[in-house]
Amino acid sequence: MIALRHARPRRKDGVTLRSAEGEIMLYDPEDERVHFMNTTATAIWQLCDGETEVSEMVSAICLLTGLPADVVEEDVAGLLEGFADAGLITWVGEPPTSPEEPDGANESGE
Amino acid sequence: MDEDPIVRVLFADHEPLFREAIRVVLDNQPDLLVVAEAQTGCQAVALVEELDPDIAILAADLPDCDGVDPVRLVVDRSERCRVLVLARDEDQNALLQALESGAAGFVARTSPLDDLIAAIRALHRGEAMVPPMMLGPLLAALIRRRREQAAVLQRISNLTRREREVLVLVCKGADSRSIADELVISPETARTHVQNVLSKLGVHSRLEAAALVGPDDLLDQLVEMGP
Repeated sequence: MIALRHARPRRKDGVTLRSAEGEIMLYDPEDERVHFMNTTATAIWQLCDGETEVSEMVSAICLLTGLPADVVEEDVAGLLEGFADAGLITWVGEPPTSPEEPDGANESGE
Repeated sequence: MDEDPIVRVLFADHEPLFREAIRVVLDNQPDLLVVAEAQTGCQAVALVEELDPDIAILAADLPDCDGVDPVRLVVDRSERCRVLVLARDEDQNALLQALESGAAGFVARTSPLDDLIAAIRALHRGEAMVPPMMLGPLLAALIRRRREQAAVLQRISNLTRREREVLVLVCKGADSRSIADELVISPETARTHVQNVLSKLGVHSRLEAAALVGPDDLLDQLVEMGP
């Protein structure tokens, strides 16, 4: 996760967030796929503006929820990796896999 | 958290028909009981003090209580009672104001009734409740605020220890004479320090400087900053 901290995820153009009958979903018109979202995933998606660093997302969630940073970091990393694997986000600036922290730790897997 | 299985609820809204409808619905739940209704913010605060309910549902548009937000008053006056704000719609500013005042949950009147009931139970379990689509913008607002505070702290770091002391006093509304008395310096020296502070912060007035420092937690950081 450490290598993700300064990464800035950006939503893929054209993908829209929709809410209907209590369900929240992402619709990707390119491949006509629908991705069902939980509350945290929805919030993280909304923060993927290409400007907000992952570390800022983690800090804000910790501030709001009082959860420990390591737990939040792991959840956020997992969600972002899921978005990236589904082609729903791209990375702005430093790619998340290039170790830029002094200890050169790798991002965590799921 | 209270172990009593019945969650005691106070409901405050200025529309009697709406209050009555919500009371009927909540009282029909096996674990919820409306112990009081209020029509105004002041009435709600008084009833919370008298009855100490588990949850106070306060309409977001209740009139202030002598100029003070009723949410803040309830939070200040009851350690136990958790506040759920019921807003007209999913308005981000109303959400921020509610949370800043100490509310633990926020539900829009446009939400399904089940959401209100779920929110009451969640608050009673000690959880916070924000509409899912509003969480992202709320986090974005928190991030923006942190960035703004970091930028202000960066500017403040250019001040000398004495200038920071002057800034703290300016933020507390002190004039040059009061600053001079407090710091045991001449009023002329105090004025010079104030001018230097304004110049380094890039603002044009004491009011602007105080607004820049803004929230209390930043003022506290300013006081705690070393030389």
